[in-house]
Amino acid sequence: MATESETLQRSGRFQYAEIRGKAFEAILIAATLVGLVALILLFGFMFFDAFGPLSASLEWYLLFFSTLVAPVSAFTLYCRRNPAARTANARASAAVFGGLVLSLAAYIVLRAMSPYGPLVYLITVSSMPLSVAVYGRYTENSYFVGPAMVLAMLLAIVWTFGSEVLLFPLLDAVFGLGNDLLGGVPVLGSVPVPVGRGLLVTAIAVGVPTLALANSVLRRRTSRAGILAVFAVLGLSAAGTAGLDQLIRPILEVLPIWSAYAGVIGLPVTGILALLITRQRGMRAGITAVVAVVGGGLAVVAIASAVSMDPSLWVVLFFGMGVPTAYVVGEAVISDRDGRVGVAGPFVILGGILVGAYLERLLSVTGPDSWVTPTLLTNSWNGLTATEAGAYPSIVGSIMIVSFMALMAFPVGVGAAIYLEEYAPDTGWKGRLTNLVELNIANLAGVPSVVYGLLGLALFQNLLNFAPGLVFSAAATLGFLILPIVIVSAQEALKAVPDSLREASYGMGASRWQTIRSVVLPEAVPGILTGTILALGRAIGETAPLIIIAVPTTTFTTPGGLFSSGAAVPLRIFSASANFAPEYRKGVVAALAIVLLVLMLTMNAIAIVIRNRYQQ
Amino acid sequence: MSKKRETELSSLERSEFIVRKERLYGQLLAACAVLTIAVTGGIILSLSGQALTFFGHVSPIDFLTGQNWSPLSNTPSYGVIPLISGTLIVTVGSAVIALPVGLGAAIYLSEYASSRVRGIVKPLLEILAGIPTVIYGYFALVYLTPLLDAPLPIRQTIIPGEFVLVVPSISTFNALSASIAVGVMIIPMVSSISEDALSAVPDSLREAGYGLGSTKFDVSTSIVVPAATSGIVSSYVLALSRAIGETMIVVVAAGESPKMPTFPNILENFTESIETMTVAMVNIASAESLGETVAYESMFAIGLTLFAITLTMNYIAELISRQYREEY
Amino acid sequence: MSEPDQETQAGSTDETGNSSLIETHVTSDTSVDTQGENPTSVVETRNLSVYYDEEQALDDVNLDIYEQEVTAIIGPSGCGKSTFLRCINRMNDLVEAATIEGELRFRGTDIYGDNVDPVALRRQIGMVFQHPNPFPKSIYDNVAYGLRVQDETVTDEIVETALKRAALWEEVKDQLHTSALDLSGGQQQRLCIARAIAVNPDVLLMDEPASALDPIATSKIEDLIEDLTSEYTVIIVTHNMQQAARISDRTAVFLTGGELVEFDHTTTIFENPADDRVEDYITGKFG
Repeated sequence: MATESETLQRSGRFQYAEIRGKAFEAILIAATLVGLVALILLFGFMFFDAFGPLSASLEWYLLFFSTLVAPVSAFTLYCRRNPAARTANARASAAVFGGLVLSLAAYIVLRAMSPYGPLVYLITVSSMPLSVAVYGRYTENSYFVGPAMVLAMLLAIVWTFGSEVLLFPLLDAVFGLGNDLLGGVPVLGSVPVPVGRGLLVTAIAVGVPTLALANSVLRRRTSRAGILAVFAVLGLSAAGTAGLDQLIRPILEVLPIWSAYAGVIGLPVTGILALLITRQRGMRAGITAVVAVVGGGLAVVAIASAVSMDPSLWVVLFFGMGVPTAYVVGEAVISDRDGRVGVAGPFVILGGILVGAYLERLLSVTGPDSWVTPTLLTNSWNGLTATEAGAYPSIVGSIMIVSFMALMAFPVGVGAAIYLEEYAPDTGWKGRLTNLVELNIANLAGVPSVVYGLLGLALFQNLLNFAPGLVFSAAATLGFLILPIVIVSAQEALKAVPDSLREASYGMGASRWQTIRSVVLPEAVPGILTGTILALGRAIGETAPLIIIAVPTTTFTTPGGLFSSGAAVPLRIFSASANFAPEYRKGVVAALAIVLLVLMLTMNAIAIVIRNRYQQ
Repeated sequence: MSKKRETELSSLERSEFIVRKERLYGQLLAACAVLTIAVTGGIILSLSGQALTFFGHVSPIDFLTGQNWSPLSNTPSYGVIPLISGTLIVTVGSAVIALPVGLGAAIYLSEYASSRVRGIVKPLLEILAGIPTVIYGYFALVYLTPLLDAPLPIRQTIIPGEFVLVVPSISTFNALSASIAVGVMIIPMVSSISEDALSAVPDSLREAGYGLGSTKFDVSTSIVVPAATSGIVSSYVLALSRAIGETMIVVVAAGESPKMPTFPNILENFTESIETMTVAMVNIASAESLGETVAYESMFAIGLTLFAITLTMNYIAELISRQYREEY
Repeated sequence: MSEPDQETQAGSTDETGNSSLIETHVTSDTSVDTQGENPTSVVETRNLSVYYDEEQALDDVNLDIYEQEVTAIIGPSGCGKSTFLRCINRMNDLVEAATIEGELRFRGTDIYGDNVDPVALRRQIGMVFQHPNPFPKSIYDNVAYGLRVQDETVTDEIVETALKRAALWEEVKDQLHTSALDLSGGQQQRLCIARAIAVNPDVLLMDEPASALDPIATSKIEDLIEDLTSEYTVIIVTHNMQQAARISDRTAVFLTGGELVEFDHTTTIFENPADDRVEDYITGKFG
């Protein structure tokens, strides 16, 4: 009897515990759902207003279901069953869509800046390190190639960017003074200021590395041919850099504009392709590929000219999207027997969209009354007619700011991470210093973005006396902002590389740098990329620091270069959200917000794909 | 063979060039690390430099105790209390949403959810943290405020003659919708970091609990959560610090009217427009043709205050989270 | 594989070397004499002690390693075997907390001297680790890695020779450009050996190279090690006493605290050890 009552009591307690457990779980699920519901509401409302899905007819949905949704779903199902096809699909999609987005972005930026300038910079910045690298390949003593390339690259960057900002004004002042003082002296006094400063900068850029290299070469007592080669290399780079303003640019501007686009995009793409193919299939295949690519580019130009279109965009698309796609597809077709079909994935999507759009026009089906239109992306702002309003200058500005920011923050951030993970001491007072630096970086990541705006304001406007709201200041300010994020994520990626690989490399007699370059970095690259892409996604949406450094919220012209007034999409949204007219408030702004969100989501998705692919 | 060995022995010595090359790379990388310190130094210098000039014009005591903020009027006044109160209102409002919700989601993801669900939900929640804040602000102003305002004002008698619930209708710019948006934005911060801390609790502790006949509820609430307290607290502090520094949501949705908090009717603080420290900075920065005036310098003084607050909070969070990292 | 063969081989080495053998007790500071047909010593340690922070890992070790022999280092876990091995190619430099006292000479040069570059040293003293750790590159690139980092020309012949030397060539010759991570554990470890000998080192250090492998892979590695002595001096750390007995010419026994208790011909150690503790350890009464 006594035992029975005890079991009864217990089961009662168990029942209570069960209900309590269920209730707790329900609360937890509800808490998780709050975030998800907020996400759905946010996207749902804006999507609804931006696209106006109710205004489309049923036929339109049926049409796009049959051309786009059904084939894509079928293909996705197929890929799920066939992992090799899935991999091939992912690679092809990355090449097609990544190439499309990057080439469009590059085209937009180049068009805003005029492609001749970037071409000159590309040639001058890369000529020195490239010639050093080529020399290094054909010489026995290639010890100095690495440091020489680094030095050459740094010098070239300092020379090209720094000369415009820092050296030229300084030299102008010096030469101006010199001209005043030496005006009477023949020869010296008659050198015009721009030529004089150009010569001086060239002398510094060429002379310093020449002396350094010659010194190191002499010490190692290399053969005479080696010394001659170094001087030949430097002579070439001198010729390349000497006439930046005076010689190269006027010559280049004689060329048609499409060739400048082709130069900026095509040269690096062709070079990388040639390297890849040569490494995989030998020199002959590499040369064939280069000939094919160049021929293809010329064919594109010929066709476009024949139908009297400006070939620029098509050339950029050919090199930026066509060539990588052809490479990935070709590689899959040749060597990936199982996954071959997978490369069709991106073409199913693109084809579905194009066929759908064609049929839509052909059958005159009523599509949705959407605010996301070509106008939005290609017009500049119009505060009176909502259907005419666009954000083209802001889009160009955002792309310029984010890409220059990435160029500045990525190398520094990764470099700092490598130093902290691989070089910095862990013990003793130096170790404590390292700890302090790491703590400082973690804290920097938590400083409000508005404060970075103040840093940019004080540094660029107050200290360096720049005009307010330049693309350069905006890019650098956002660069400071994402620097700690890049460093922390790169550090995580480096930490994930197993120590056994480092030991193996050191055990083989590799030096620290060799170990980092050929073992640690290749392993860490996916992780570093993931973190960097997420940081870029954050920077695209950053608004407050740009307001603080006085980037104009409303512009009607695209930024013309690094040192012209900037613009950005989030600023456009900020100023337009104050407009109370409903067609702006719940139309144009919603559409802009969707554009920004899609951009950010795509970047997040890419980052997640990279992370999942390599985190196995 | 031995002859070959002898010649090789000389190469045990350091090659001067390689050592220099290694040192060069080390120095280049160290320079990158030093740059981050320079950024911190730059922030502190630029903030304190201008802030000091400002405190030359306005005494720090007036700044910190003044109850009126109107830097751009003809008779400027620089009391920071209304701004701090505005910031506090938004922070408290967002904390009410994000702290419990984030912790709940973290416990669910770490203790209850299958790895499949976790794999889908976690990245989705993290999207919330990546959405540009200006879009949150736009969402709060254009969609959230009308949604909240629709059933208002409420005048409902709960107990006749004793208690009448009064909720006034809310103004176009208000702290409530801004707080909700900020709260949603910082949910993933709380949930991600807390989930990491919860997952870091070793399974042996959980198994010990189950072995003693505990239910999942008991294990979660009385073993796992207490063991992860320091991680959870650190996530709270970080999230609050983020809420304090949040700018664009409040600029777009909460308006720009600095005011002292109202007591005892606390709800009114949320239905009205306010101004936070960050909004004040943006206001001054976007005012046209402002030279190096006192108002301009006051922006740096607020920035310094904000920087000091968030830096202290981040530092505390880091110290707390280091503690839990050492525990396991 | 036939064990009696091994025993006789080890035994015969013992007979030839026995006359010239001198007991090298740690406590007796006499170095090995060099009379008769005694081989030259490659590595000599004198009063070598290692500390990790305050903890002593090696205690006053005096030991000579002879050319073209297999020297086994055995002892219970935590006795400093691996620490000793890592001193020889200065891998302990990577552990910041480690401090090293005493002298370690490699062919007469004190390797902890001022002028010695650990990177250059490691190019002559190769190492194979406990767990197979091929780089996530192709098989070919793994073997070529050492040559590349030493700025030497990589030829297909060198790669082929190294792989043949490591008894791996027949298994991988058709897949040289596939990832090394696709190989089995035993193949990976032989690849690591091929990688180490591709740069033609003087001494090969092996840190329990077979402990993570199955018996068949282990016996292949053991065959390989014996084969390697024709060109290389091998120092192998192992916790498997049978393995030490099978493959080594001399054996050093370390006991807890990093103390070198006895160093002698392998047969002497296993059949007639001078120190009681060694006998206890070998017969399984201790450790």
